[in-house]
Amino acid sequence: MRTKSVSTWLLLWVGLAMAGAACAQEGNAEAGREKAATCLGCHGVPTYSNVYPTYHVPKLGGQHAQYIVSALKAYKAGKRGHSTMHAQAATLSEQDMVDIAAYFASVPRD
Amino acid sequence: MLRTSITIMLLAVSLGVAHAGDPAAGKDKSQACAACHGKTGNSKNPMYPRLAGQYEDYLFQALKQYKSGKRQNAIMKGQVANLSTKDMADLAAYYASQKGLVNTTP
Repeated sequence: MRTKSVSTWLLLWVGLAMAGAACAQEGNAEAGREKAATCLGCHGVPTYSNVYPTYHVPKLGGQHAQYIVSALKAYKAGKRGHSTMHAQAATLSEQDMVDIAAYFASVPRD
Repeated sequence: MLRTSITIMLLAVSLGVAHAGDPAAGKDKSQACAACHGKTGNSKNPMYPRLAGQYEDYLFQALKQYKSGKRQNAIMKGQVANLSTKDMADLAAYYASQKGLVNTTP
């Protein structure tokens, strides 16, 4: 009996954890499209370049949503050094991040 | 005067060439990368970024930053530790030459 109740709790806990993880990943591409207006000021201009050092602003169309969220979090936490992206990411909530990521991920790839 | 100009031009050209990678050489060097990023840089696992079609200079920059620690990522730090500047340029050229990521216009 004791074993059973422990396993029941364990199952419930695992189930809740999975549901929580699934919720956290859920982004709304349509909402993200609107929230991405600022992003597109740089990421939406083909051939647009960063300066000092000079390199192209990366393409995001067709990128994995999960990766975009982790990159945004790293910019926010200062684990990626880029002052503009740090400032941008700092203003975003977790929901903003997943929505924006869902939008870029929804763009058809080549 | 002319000689100085020519020297400066040659120097500028050689500096430019130092960054231009060789996609074929990059393909040969990409086997370790393929485990996470996919053979052509179109990763299946959403944890890992797609590299295919990304700008060459951005990829090169990202690799250099993983190496310098400006970008902190435990996996990538280990991967880039043994890459030379030429290796990074070749890898960047290979993934940039593949089809995948696109520009997004408003």
